[in-house]
Amino acid sequence: MRLIIREDPTSASTYIANYIIDRIKSFNPTNKHPFVLGLPTGSSPVGIYKVLVERYKAGEISFENVVTFNMDEYIGIPREHPESYHTFMYKHFFSHVNVHPSNTHILNGNAPNLEAECVQYEAAIKAAGGIDLFLGGIGPDGHIAFNEPGSSLASRTRVKTLAYDTIIANSRFFDNDISKVPKMALTVGVQTVLEAREVVIIITGAHKSLALKKCIEEGVNHMWTLSSLQLHPHPMIVVDEDATLELQVKTVKYFKSIEAVSASQGFEQILPSKVRTGPRPIDNRIMIPTEEVKKQPTIQSPQPVTSTLLAAPATEYPVRSITPDLIPDRMGSRIAAY
Amino acid sequence: MPSAVPTARETITKFTNCRILKGDELVEQDLWVSSGTGKIVRNQEAFYSSHAVPDHTINLDGRIISPGLIDVQLNGAFGFNFSTVPEDPSTYGKVLRQVNKSLVQTGVTSYLPTLTSSNKEAYHQALPFLGPSGQRRLASDGAESLGAHCEGPFLNPTKNGIHPREVLVAAENGFSDLEDMYGSENINPTLDPISNAILPPRIRKITAAPEIAGITSAISDITSRGIVYAIGHTEATYEEASAAIAAGGTMITHLFNAMAPLHHRNPGVFGVLGLAKSLPRPYFGIIADGIHLHPTSIKIAFNAHPDGFILVTDAMHLVGLPDGVYSWNENSGERLVKTGPSLTLEGTDKIAGSSITLIECVNNFLNFSGCTISQALKAVTSTPSAMLHLQGVKGSLESDADADLVIIDEEVHENGARSLTIDQVWKFGSKVFDRDE
Repeated sequence: MRLIIREDPTSASTYIANYIIDRIKSFNPTNKHPFVLGLPTGSSPVGIYKVLVERYKAGEISFENVVTFNMDEYIGIPREHPESYHTFMYKHFFSHVNVHPSNTHILNGNAPNLEAECVQYEAAIKAAGGIDLFLGGIGPDGHIAFNEPGSSLASRTRVKTLAYDTIIANSRFFDNDISKVPKMALTVGVQTVLEAREVVIIITGAHKSLALKKCIEEGVNHMWTLSSLQLHPHPMIVVDEDATLELQVKTVKYFKSIEAVSASQGFEQILPSKVRTGPRPIDNRIMIPTEEVKKQPTIQSPQPVTSTLLAAPATEYPVRSITPDLIPDRMGSRIAAY
Repeated sequence: MPSAVPTARETITKFTNCRILKGDELVEQDLWVSSGTGKIVRNQEAFYSSHAVPDHTINLDGRIISPGLIDVQLNGAFGFNFSTVPEDPSTYGKVLRQVNKSLVQTGVTSYLPTLTSSNKEAYHQALPFLGPSGQRRLASDGAESLGAHCEGPFLNPTKNGIHPREVLVAAENGFSDLEDMYGSENINPTLDPISNAILPPRIRKITAAPEIAGITSAISDITSRGIVYAIGHTEATYEEASAAIAAGGTMITHLFNAMAPLHHRNPGVFGVLGLAKSLPRPYFGIIADGIHLHPTSIKIAFNAHPDGFILVTDAMHLVGLPDGVYSWNENSGERLVKTGPSLTLEGTDKIAGSSITLIECVNNFLNFSGCTISQALKAVTSTPSAMLHLQGVKGSLESDADADLVIIDEEVHENGARSLTIDQVWKFGSKVFDRDE
């Protein structure tokens, strides 16, 4: 876990935007080997998109070979509704940069078969080679995407009923009329996020400080779904000072010192090179996930022994040997016959 | 070499890094236009549905995009007077087409060709050419007529301005006199012989004095045909003007000019902007050439009713021609003297229209009033469009509006004066003028 603390929301957003740009650049995406970016909506990421757009307009980054997947979308409001996440993404990001429309993916909340839409979405992520970097924000209750408290940490893309609190909170965008607020949404699951090769979360503001504390200082808990990030190999949380209000002084100082020391050593807290460049050319990308062939694990190709619930991305399994099964034999066979 | 035949293929152009006029504000937002439909593209829908990407992206470096300018009172331009029917009427249409192509380069993408008071024959000959001309939706046609504006001849002879007094008449028989004067086929909707579609009347707007016999009672017949009735060239009292507004009048032609001035005990036509009788306030035209009106009068009118404020040129056919004496009324031998921006009737000091372009009026208004650029541009885009019931089609940058645009460069001079310059003009989604070319 990397925790980056910045003075204010603007510098936190700028840090993430610059980080994403550096990641895309070192990834060196091509048409065949695009950078796959997971994207959130909401008020916290607006600043990040702003910087990304500025840097694009300054000619410092191209999104030509970037594929995007969004976290969530309401069900049952028109795609062009001013509060739809399609509109949000278009307004804040897509319309300003050169990301190709066919490379963008947002869940369709008006799909005739919502469950099929979710299955298809997961398949599309796999077909794109998995998500290289999932950017996210959280709610004051620690939810990531629409995975509100109590969501399964093994959840995948699915239909989700919104909590009453969320509906009330959202009503400010719908003429303060609760009847107009969508009650359901499509969202990626916690597991979908955790399967990304890297997860970057922005948390700003005092009202989210308790959530930050619950997610990084306490145990993994489905009531604070972001806490599942502790199981991810490469998470990064970028916060402003206000968001650290509930943290222990020790925690804050610890993470600040880590950052300071690594900077003094002349490097940022970078990822292993394999994660940075992604799995290089995959020749045959399969659209539909095939039945996994159960293979006997060997030392050369180990299989995870942890439950899938805690599974880290496949490329990142620790290499560890499997204790061979005991083969009963007779003591006599071990003694050379006279 | 560009082909004269338009390609069937649709070209989508995206303008970026620009400030676009939306409502009362200049908003930093991209704008997509299509040369295929000639409209502003619902870009978000195109992005997600058809995965459309623009064929060209134009970086405007922070310049302003305004809807194309609309002039609702233009008497002629580039030496051509709409009211003068040539001896060979067949040349009228040909010259008009040329004028439209020149006019569009001044940023005026649509306008009401205005006929000053004439005799019956002139209306019958000229009006068939002056009806709405945008059906073909061709950028190469240049500026588009939204229909004719008939200023007269039902005017008060004491407020004739430079209109020849001998042709001014009353409408004793009400609307049938108007029908007779302008021609029934010009004032009524007609049936398209080919498509059987109902075409709007060729006349879009009629200026008449409400106190002239038969006019106030004819207003409802005028407006029921989709024609705007405007009060003008009038001695009307406040009460008469109010009655005309109550009958359906929605416009005042060149406010303050050719009408009784505001008197504190008889506010006259200007009084209807006071909202005293809880009638809707009409739109009103203002000539901001610095000659017709004192800058303060313009500002007072603007502050009285900003949403009704429309800048018009009332320009004569002498726009763009060198100073000198030009023929005006061939019957009476009257001539016009053009001295710089001023235009007078020879031998008098009567103002005879103006010879100013619409963007110059906008610049004058900006500096007279100190208003914002968006307020000044509104007065030549969305406000005239609303007056003509064309909201969302003309004078608008909303999705699905006609893609008539001007690209404007803003300059602030050393003395603090602001000026807007037309850099490019786009008509129906295609570029028709570029200052740099």
